[in-house]
Amino acid sequence: MTKRYQNRIELLQGTLDMLILQTLRWGPQHGYGIAAAIRAGSQEVLQVETGSLYPALHRMEKQGWVKSEWKQTDNNQRAKFYNLTAAGRKHLAAEQSRWHQMTGAIAGLMNRGEA
Amino acid sequence: MSIWSRLFHRREMDAELDEEIRSHLSMAQRDRMDRGESESDASINARREFGNVLLVKETTRDMWGWTVVENFTRDLRHALRQLKKHLGFTAVAVGTLALGIGSTTAMFSVVKGVLLEPLQYRDPSRLFLAYARFPLLTWQKGPVNARHFHEWRTRCRACEFVAMVDGVAFGVAGRGEPRGVAGLRVSANLFRTLGVVPALGRDFLPEEELPGRSDVILISDALWQELFGRDPSALGQTLNLDGVPVRIVGVMPASLHLPKGAEWGTLIGMTQKPEIFRPLGLDVSQARALGAFDYISVVRLKKDASPREAQAEMSALSGELVRPFKIEVGAVLAPMHDEVTGGARQALLLLLGAVGAVLLIVCVNIGNLMLVRTSARYREAGIRIALGAARVALFRLVLCEALVLIVLGGVAGVGLAQLGVRAFVAAAPVDVPRLDEVGIDWGVIAFAAGSAAVAGLVCGLFPAWRLSRTPPLHSVKSASPQSTEGRSKLRLREWMVSAEVGISTVLLIAGGLLGLSFLRLIHVDKGFETEHIITQAFGLTSTKYRADDVQFRFLDRMMREIDAIPGVEHAGLTSQLPLRGESFIDTLQDFNQPAEAERRPYSANYRFVSADYWRALGVPLRQGRYIEERDYDRNVVVVSDKVVALLWPGENPLGKHLRMLTLVRNPVGFEPKRLPGGDIDFHAMEVVGVVADTREGALNREPPAVVYAPYRFQAVGWGSFVLRTQGDPVAAISQVRAAIARQDPEMPLPPAETMEEILDRSVAVRRFELNLAAAFGVAALALASLGIYGVISFSVTRRTPELGIRIALGASTGKLMASVLRQGMMPVLLGMAAGLVAALMLGRLIASQLYGISANDPLTISTVSGLLLLVALGACWIPARRAARIDPVRTLRFE
Repeated sequence: MTKRYQNRIELLQGTLDMLILQTLRWGPQHGYGIAAAIRAGSQEVLQVETGSLYPALHRMEKQGWVKSEWKQTDNNQRAKFYNLTAAGRKHLAAEQSRWHQMTGAIAGLMNRGEA
Repeated sequence: MSIWSRLFHRREMDAELDEEIRSHLSMAQRDRMDRGESESDASINARREFGNVLLVKETTRDMWGWTVVENFTRDLRHALRQLKKHLGFTAVAVGTLALGIGSTTAMFSVVKGVLLEPLQYRDPSRLFLAYARFPLLTWQKGPVNARHFHEWRTRCRACEFVAMVDGVAFGVAGRGEPRGVAGLRVSANLFRTLGVVPALGRDFLPEEELPGRSDVILISDALWQELFGRDPSALGQTLNLDGVPVRIVGVMPASLHLPKGAEWGTLIGMTQKPEIFRPLGLDVSQARALGAFDYISVVRLKKDASPREAQAEMSALSGELVRPFKIEVGAVLAPMHDEVTGGARQALLLLLGAVGAVLLIVCVNIGNLMLVRTSARYREAGIRIALGAARVALFRLVLCEALVLIVLGGVAGVGLAQLGVRAFVAAAPVDVPRLDEVGIDWGVIAFAAGSAAVAGLVCGLFPAWRLSRTPPLHSVKSASPQSTEGRSKLRLREWMVSAEVGISTVLLIAGGLLGLSFLRLIHVDKGFETEHIITQAFGLTSTKYRADDVQFRFLDRMMREIDAIPGVEHAGLTSQLPLRGESFIDTLQDFNQPAEAERRPYSANYRFVSADYWRALGVPLRQGRYIEERDYDRNVVVVSDKVVALLWPGENPLGKHLRMLTLVRNPVGFEPKRLPGGDIDFHAMEVVGVVADTREGALNREPPAVVYAPYRFQAVGWGSFVLRTQGDPVAAISQVRAAIARQDPEMPLPPAETMEEILDRSVAVRRFELNLAAAFGVAALALASLGIYGVISFSVTRRTPELGIRIALGASTGKLMASVLRQGMMPVLLGMAAGLVAALMLGRLIASQLYGISANDPLTISTVSGLLLLVALGACWIPARRAARIDPVRTLRFE
C-alpha cells in the first residue's frame, strides 16, 4: 500500500492550501476537479489524497477563504463547488510571496551546494 | 456559526458530506469509464483511489471543530446505553455511591458547621474566654471573680474589651404562663465585645450595669417572636422577671448564636439557649477579690495584641489583687471558638474519619464491580483495538461510564446528605455545640463534588487504564468466556479486597471499643439507683425568697405535703442531684487540723439535703447513720467514702469534725458569712455517717468527695425533690407540682425527670457516637463482604471451565472448594493483618473516647477479627459451593 506513494512528493505543510486556492483562481471547482487539476497541472507528480483534500476544503471554508454552493456539472451531476472569497485571494497572495521567498532561498542554498 | 447551531445542523452537514463524497466517486467513475474502463472496474478503482471513506469523513468532520463535544456526547450516549443495559449493576453502583457520598457529605457539613466555621461574631479570631487559675483549689481553668474582671476591664492594655457573663434561669411572668427562661447576666459591654448590635432598640448603657439601674433587658429574636409575635411595640414594655418588673430596651438579631450551657465553660449548668440578657446589677469595682468565683469572662484582644501578652498582663493584675492573702491567682486565655466546640471536636473528627473510610470502601467496591465489568468486555476491547480504535478512545469510554455513575451518585448523595444532616441534627443530643448552625451550603457541595471526584478516580481510572492497555491479539485469542483469566487482573482485585477488609477491621474495632466502653460506662457503680425514682427541680429565684427563712419555710411545707402523697415510698430533697455537674465546691478540712489543710488542699462538693434523701435515691449507708429530722438545726454532716479516704484513711470518721462556713446571698452570688470582727464564721460539723460515693459530674468521671449537711444549714435558692414511688411515678410527681403551685402559683417549673432520664441524658452523646460508629462499622462489614463475594464469585464463573475439567478428571469437591476458599481468604487475611496493625497504631486517637478499656483491648480485637473471618468465610463459601457443584458435562459442552 505505502510503496505506491513512494515516488510522489509529500506536500509541505500549508502548501496544499496554497495549491487548492491557486486552482480555484480560475473559477469555482468541486473537490474531484481540484484533485484532478492539481494532478494534471503537476504532470502527475503531486497526488492529492482525499483524506487531506476534503479536510483542507472544509477547514478553509470555516476560515472564510472559500465558500461552497451546490451546482450542476457539465455532465448534469450535482456537486459541491468551492469558490475563492476575497479573504481567500488575500491569503493566496500572501502565501505566494512567502512561497517565492522560500523557494528562492532554498534554490540559492542548493545551488551553492552544487557549485 | 456557534457550536450549538452547528450541533443542530450536524445531520444536515453529515448528509452534505456524504453527498459530496458520493459525487466525487461518481465523477471519478465516469472519468474512468470515459477512459475505457468497464463500469464495475471503474467503480472499484474509483473507490480504491479515494481511499478509506470512513476515515476521510472522520478527518473532515474533525475540521468542523466540535469533535470534542461530539466525542463526548457519543461516549456519553454509549455509557448511558451500557448502564441502561446493566440496570442492576447501575442501581447498585449509584445507590452505594449515593450512600457513601451522602453520608460523608452530611458528616462533613456537621463538622464544618460546628468546627470549621468561625463563630458568627465580628473578627472572631480575637475573641477569647478568660478563666481563673487558682492553684490552691487545683483550678487550671476555673470561673472568674467580679473584682478581677473589673481590674482586667479597666487596666488590661492588650484587651480591647473585657466582658463577663453568668448563666441564670429567669422566672418570667406577666405575659402568658409563668415559666423558666434561660438567660445571662452580663456586663454592659458583652455585645460590644462580641461585635453584635441589637436588631431593634439599643444595647445596654455602661451605667445600667450598676445596682438599682439594671431593671432593663435585651431579649432574643425567638423570645420576641414568642411573646410579642415580632411586634416592634415590645420595646419599652415591661416583663416580670423573678418578681421584679424590667423594661425591654432591645431585641437581638435572629442571627445571634450564643454558646449554650457548658459551652461557656464549666460553670453554667443550663442547656437551653439564653433568651434574656440583663445587666449584672453589681458595682464590680467594689466586689471582693476573693470568693464568688462565679463568672465567665469574654475578652476581645486589640488588633496587634497576642493572647500570651494579654494573659500575662491579666495574671499580673489578678496576682496584685490577691497578694494580701498570700495566695496565687492567675488568668488563662483560650480561643473562644476552641472552648465552645472543644467537647465535640474529637468525636466529630472521629466520625468524619469513619464515614470517610466507608466512602473509601464504597469506591473500592465499585471500582471492583467496574473491573469485573470491564474484564467481561476484554474481548470487545481487543477487537476494537485490532480494528484501529484509539486506546485513548477506549480509555475515555470506560471513564465516561464511571463519570455517569459518579454524577448520578453524587447528585443523589447531596440529596441524601440533606436528609442526613436533618436526621443528625434531630438525633444528636443537645450537647453538640452550634448544631443549629449546621446546614448544606456551597462549601459542603464543593466537598461532595470533591469526594465524588476522588471516588471517580478510584473507581473509574483504574479499570479504564486497564482496559485501554488490552493487547489486541492476546485478548481476542484468550479472553473467550471459556478460558481462565490473566493472573495480574485477579491480583488487582485481590488487593482491593485486602484494602476493604483492612478498612473494615479498623472501623469495626473502633466501633467495638466504643460499644464496650458504653456498656462499661452505663453499668459503672454510680452510687445511687435509677429505677422508680422521679425528680422535680425548682428554683427559688424570685425576690420574695431573698430571706433564708422564707426559703426554709417553703421547703418545710413542701416536704410535709410530699410525705402525705400516697404511693410515695421515700421522698427527699437535695440542693443538687448527682450527674448534674460538680458544684458548690469548697475546701475540705478537718476542723481540728487546720495546718493539715494547707499541706493538702482538698475540696469537696457540698450538698444540702433532707433526712430521707439517701433512701429515696438508694445511696447505700457505709457507717453510722443518715441525717434525721432531729438533726435539722444541728451541726452534723454525712460524708461520702471519698472524704474518709482523703482526710481520715484507716481511721474511724464518726465523731470527727469538718470545718464548714455558711454562705450568705448578696445580690450577685454568695459570700462567706462573717463574724462581727470580719473573720469568716466557721462551724465544726460532726460526722454522723458515711455513704457511698456518687458520680456527680459526668458518668465517666471519678466521683468527687461529697459532704451532705441538713438543708436548713444553708439556703441555696434551688434544688430538687426526689421521690421513690411504688406506683406510677408520673401520678405522684403531678401531685408534687400541684403542691408547689398551691404554695407559689408564680413559680416556673421545669419538666419532671426520672433518674433514668437523667442518666440517659448524661450518656446521650456517647450513645449517639456509639450508634453512628456501629452503623458505620456494620456498613463497612456489609460492603466488604459484598466485595469479597463479588470477587470470588466472579473468579469462580471465570474458572468454571477449568473447574469443570478438574471435576471431569476426578478432583474431589472438597479439594475444589478448598482451592476456591484459599484463593478468597488469602487477601482477606492479608487485609485483616494490615487492619489490625493500623488499629493498634490509631488506637491513641480514640483512647480519650473510651471508658474502662484500653484502645488495644484483646477481647474486642479478637471478637472483631473472629466476626470478620466468619463473614468473609461466608462470602467465599457461597461461590465455593457453586464451584463444587459445577456440572462438568455442561461446562465442557460450551467449549
